[in-house]
Amino acid sequence: MTEARDELEKLLAAARADFASRLADKVSELRDLASRGAWSEARRAAHKLRGSAATYGFAKIGAAAATMEDILIDASTSPNDDAKARFATALAEARIESERVRVGSP
Amino acid sequence: MTEPAKVDPVFTLGELVAETYEIRSLLGSGGMGEVYEARDRSLNRRVALKVVRPNIKRDYLLREGRALAAIHHPGVVTVHTMGEHRGILFLVLERVQGLSLDRMIDERRSRGERLGIAEALDLLVSIADTLSIVHRTGLAHRDVKPANVMLAPGGRVVLMDFGLVLPHADRAGHRTVAGSLDYMAPEALSGRLIEGEAHLLDIYGLGVLAYELLAGILPFDSGDQTQDALRAKTRSCPVLTAHRSDVPTPLSALIAQMMAAESSERPQSAEAALWQLRALRGRLGSEGSARPFAVLIVDDDPDMRSALTLYVRAAAPDAEVEAIGDGRHAIRSVRRRVPDLLLLDLDLPDINGIEVCMLLRGMHLGDSCMIVSVSARATRADVELLQQLGVRSFEKGPNLMGELVTLVQRMRPR
Repeated sequence: MTEARDELEKLLAAARADFASRLADKVSELRDLASRGAWSEARRAAHKLRGSAATYGFAKIGAAAATMEDILIDASTSPNDDAKARFATALAEARIESERVRVGSP
Repeated sequence: MTEPAKVDPVFTLGELVAETYEIRSLLGSGGMGEVYEARDRSLNRRVALKVVRPNIKRDYLLREGRALAAIHHPGVVTVHTMGEHRGILFLVLERVQGLSLDRMIDERRSRGERLGIAEALDLLVSIADTLSIVHRTGLAHRDVKPANVMLAPGGRVVLMDFGLVLPHADRAGHRTVAGSLDYMAPEALSGRLIEGEAHLLDIYGLGVLAYELLAGILPFDSGDQTQDALRAKTRSCPVLTAHRSDVPTPLSALIAQMMAAESSERPQSAEAALWQLRALRGRLGSEGSARPFAVLIVDDDPDMRSALTLYVRAAAPDAEVEAIGDGRHAIRSVRRRVPDLLLLDLDLPDINGIEVCMLLRGMHLGDSCMIVSVSARATRADVELLQQLGVRSFEKGPNLMGELVTLVQRMRPR
């Protein structure tokens, strides 16, 4: 029983580490989609990151992704300048946090 | 109705009521009123005539008549009309022949027999189905108990006695203690009812009824009803499996949940209880068989599919897990094989998770399947709609693993 629990803990830790190693790419993908004006795809990517980051224990990135998704939902088809600025702020927060995760700082 | 009172009958045998209904016999009598069998001379059919005693407010009968008139369902007795005779208001109802559930329980008990799990679940599904219709009409029955359930020929299960029915948004009517103490939810006793939550009284009553049906005894049964009712307010429900070891753990857990002292911890709608009961009924027979516990995960995010698969395996290492990324494949997969548990993201690229649930429920494809939505941004409206479909909602986040592990451990066959 303890062995199985240990094995599971290892698997969970490995899954989290794997997710963490790809976090920066996910945030970059969001930035690329936004820079191309692919707002619908950006919303979907933000939605995915919102759920997965929160689930894997990266609350700050999950929260930033939630902000990005909500901004894009409110903006409907294409965000105005104000929405774009708020989106950029949330994206920057996600980038800082993903970098912090990458270098392993607390 | 409660203890019979020694008072003169309201109508006499042979009396012709409103020049139409000939009183044939007294079917039942209680503190609030009486029910007679009568012959409708105009239509030449047997009917039931219900009256309240002169000291009881006519509102009870008016309310019952209007409530019944609003509902058309085989699980609810049909109201034919309402009239007045000698200044006495009466309700003309369909005459339902059969055996009341409390008598059936007594008879089984006297023979030392217990109801089979499948038989009990069939009854509970019928009652929950009827309650879901009553609640959808905006009403709450408020006196769900075996004596108010009639087992009619052809497997028809009829909910009787709507004398205490109230709109479930109405709080004023709940300030007085009404109903039967053994089946009464703690908040009805203390008058702490929240507006719009009267239907949760019926969920509690259904839980007590289910417990009694399976255990053959009431969950709180010291012989002192008032003490038992107070105990139900403060103590968690006794474990059903302690009285009856063949009750599947998930059924025992569901019944305990229906009897939760806090109304917010109960299934939040009769539909939610209904779908869970249906799922348990559908799975009955497969428990203990060689079929492994099957889980279908539907999420378009591969990272979420991985996380959910890990969490399921944490609770059930031998589970058979299929993980797919869109709604259409989910429906195809359920058609091929109904899983025990379906974990469903709501925001899917093709048909969304709510549409998947509606399709599955509409086609009766996943009746034996517990469906849980796993979403990052379900709105209150989404959650309420899902509840109507008997779907539980989990939120993506740090608590997801714990919630999911607990759920799977409860669901797995012992």
